[in-house]
Amino acid sequence: MSARQMKLGLFLWAAGHHIAAWRHPKAHVTAGIDIDHYIQLARTAEAARFDMIFCEDAAGLREANVGIASQTSRSIGFEPISLLSALAVQTSRIGLVSTASTSYNEPYGLARTFLSLDHLSGGRAGWNLVTSASPIEAANFGSTGLKPHADRYERAREFAEVVTGLWLGKASGHDGQSFSVRDPLDVPRSPQGAPVMVQAGASDVGRDLAARTADVVFTAAQTFEEAKAFYDDLKGRMAAYGREPDDIKIMPGVSPVVAETEAEAREKHEELQALIPDDVGVALLSSYLSISDLGRYPIDGPLPELPESEGMKSRQALVIEQSRRDGLSIRQLARHFAGARGHWRIVGTAAQVADELQARFEGGAADGFNVMPSYFPGELDAFATLVVPELQRRGLFRREYEGRTLRDHLGLKRPA
Amino acid sequence: MHLAISLNIAAGKGHAVLDFGQVSSFVRGAEAAGVDMVIISDSADKPSSSPFEATTLLAALATVTDRIGLVASASTLAHQPYNLARRFASLDIISHGRIGWNATLRQNPREAGNFSRPEGFCDDDFRRRAKEFINIVRALWIGWGRDALLFDKAGGRFHDPDKMQPLNHIGEFFSVRGPLNVARSPQDRPVLIMSDPAEADIDLASGGADVVLIEGQPSEALKVAVGDLKRRAAAIGRQPETVKVLATMALSSEPDVGSLQALLESSGCDGFNFVLPADIPGLQSFADRVLPELRRHGIAGQGQQGATLRAHLGLGTGGAK
Ligand SMILES: Cc1cc2nc3c(=O)[nH]c(=O)nc-3n(C[C@H](O)[C@H](O)[C@H](O)COP(=O)(O)O)c2cc1C
Repeated sequence: MSARQMKLGLFLWAAGHHIAAWRHPKAHVTAGIDIDHYIQLARTAEAARFDMIFCEDAAGLREANVGIASQTSRSIGFEPISLLSALAVQTSRIGLVSTASTSYNEPYGLARTFLSLDHLSGGRAGWNLVTSASPIEAANFGSTGLKPHADRYERAREFAEVVTGLWLGKASGHDGQSFSVRDPLDVPRSPQGAPVMVQAGASDVGRDLAARTADVVFTAAQTFEEAKAFYDDLKGRMAAYGREPDDIKIMPGVSPVVAETEAEAREKHEELQALIPDDVGVALLSSYLSISDLGRYPIDGPLPELPESEGMKSRQALVIEQSRRDGLSIRQLARHFAGARGHWRIVGTAAQVADELQARFEGGAADGFNVMPSYFPGELDAFATLVVPELQRRGLFRREYEGRTLRDHLGLKRPA
Repeated sequence: MHLAISLNIAAGKGHAVLDFGQVSSFVRGAEAAGVDMVIISDSADKPSSSPFEATTLLAALATVTDRIGLVASASTLAHQPYNLARRFASLDIISHGRIGWNATLRQNPREAGNFSRPEGFCDDDFRRRAKEFINIVRALWIGWGRDALLFDKAGGRFHDPDKMQPLNHIGEFFSVRGPLNVARSPQDRPVLIMSDPAEADIDLASGGADVVLIEGQPSEALKVAVGDLKRRAAAIGRQPETVKVLATMALSSEPDVGSLQALLESSGCDGFNFVLPADIPGLQSFADRVLPELRRHGIAGQGQQGATLRAHLGLGTGGAK
């Protein structure tokens, strides 16, 4: 068995990560209103010994254009904290990580809620801190619009400090720029010391906040070089905060399409791609580029010059980089990104998928992966029955859970 | 005749906090005895010592029960209306329509101090803000039409865009565009509960609450309050029987069934809300001794008439179309 093993998260998302997943004949189309479906997915992931389940979140619709939105399944779904609290008592080992915004919550309430999830699950909770880059969300919380990137991160830094202080029983009386908190949380300590802190910001300030506070970092990287550069950069920033490189697990997203043969995998992938309406693909691409009117450029022409985004800076840079590198038209880019929403995609057999994961893992570009099945439940089942055993045979992934808490699974220190 | 049980999970003095197994076995016992709903609160004037926050506990309880209504108390101070509406809508789908929100109408200074409002609000502002908050939540809950979801794979139409209404609320305290990103709840709207409305809150309660909890003593005052609420509901065109008034009673180990029955008759209330201590001996004695006694006299055991909490309580749709 290899000394170091990869960590695996299961990233849940409606009927699947592919934008047209819900239209696939085998996708569970009512996923967003079916709790039993989620319980089943969680149990499948637990049986496959995944480290954790990960739920994304936005406090608002994902797509402003109602016509586009109605052609996707992403406008409705469970609110993730209630969803994971339900899953907590229907599973026994797997970690449960929910996204929650520092812009539209208060630290006292959020600290209390995640600690409750942690107790319900016996120490398996994690919080994915996001600052929320969407103006659609902002409009549900006031009339002043999306706050500038730097302000959101300054609030996030203070927020994270208050939350961890409350979890560790340290904070008593915080009076800061954005928040004031009088009391400590008068509840039992977390069974794992403190819930796990996750982050996915990739901008310069985002990386600094992660280097300072995160236990796990998600990222979107298409190529080995991008992944490696991000990995080295982030780990390099940690020493400044008195932390060791291994204190953060970096887990890029990966969306595999896997089958018994390569031809079958390609066929599955093509079947999904053919289900994407052009206007939906272009709209999704526009949102990653933080512009609203990509539709007025010729669809078979190149990407126009764009101003730097105030929203998701990292995702915008990634899309632009890929369009230049591969000389892709708007239509081609749209299709490409619609598949896995900017994340890395591997199409092939279990051995091919395992080869690619192994190369990034052993090449020092990842500590593990956040797995994003194209559609549910089929592609999760395929990963669990084909890829996981292959990784286990290679000694790259656990056969049994080593401990009971999410910190145990991830090999993270317990905070003092 | 309806029966609610209020459980403050912030541990009673001198007792260990309840773990999930203890809470869930009590709630399952209450379900078996025909109790309509359990109301969980986790905050009080002092910090809660329960490991659980009420809405997360509700989600977990929803997966281990089948029929009983599950209600969480949550304040307008500690939440944003969009987030709170969303949490409860999601809980309602998880529980297949058994959820209620007990909207706290009183400002709690401790909460204000922990939620970046050290000075709190003046009473009048707090009240107007609470009213605006509650109305936003109620409106967000019905932003999606009942038949909005099409699931039409071949036609590529997941939902009908005309059946998804934004809210576009711009008010004194909040601006909320909406709609929710959670589907319409199985009971259209989760059940809205208010407790002990002050004189200035009675119009809010009679206008929007499905259930109002009022102190059961003294009985004369209860009778006046029940009559007042139902009259005011009728005056704005609501069916008076769609506002249920439950009398809140602290419960001793030996209930005086006779006086409970007398109170029901004299006050015109729709049932009781028993407040229980969150300690194991207290819960055990309630489950083993009190509930069977109440059942024998028809005060418990008539609940859970339908599939949803709204149906148990005979509430209709709560004004939703
Ligand atoms: C795997 C992954 C998952 C993410 N999930 C969410 C999410 O659920 N909600 C959200 O608002 N942002 C999400 N993001 C976006 C980031 O958290 C971050 O807010 C965004 O990249 C903007 O920050 P930056 O400018 O520092 O990159 C996710 C990013 C990645 C890579």
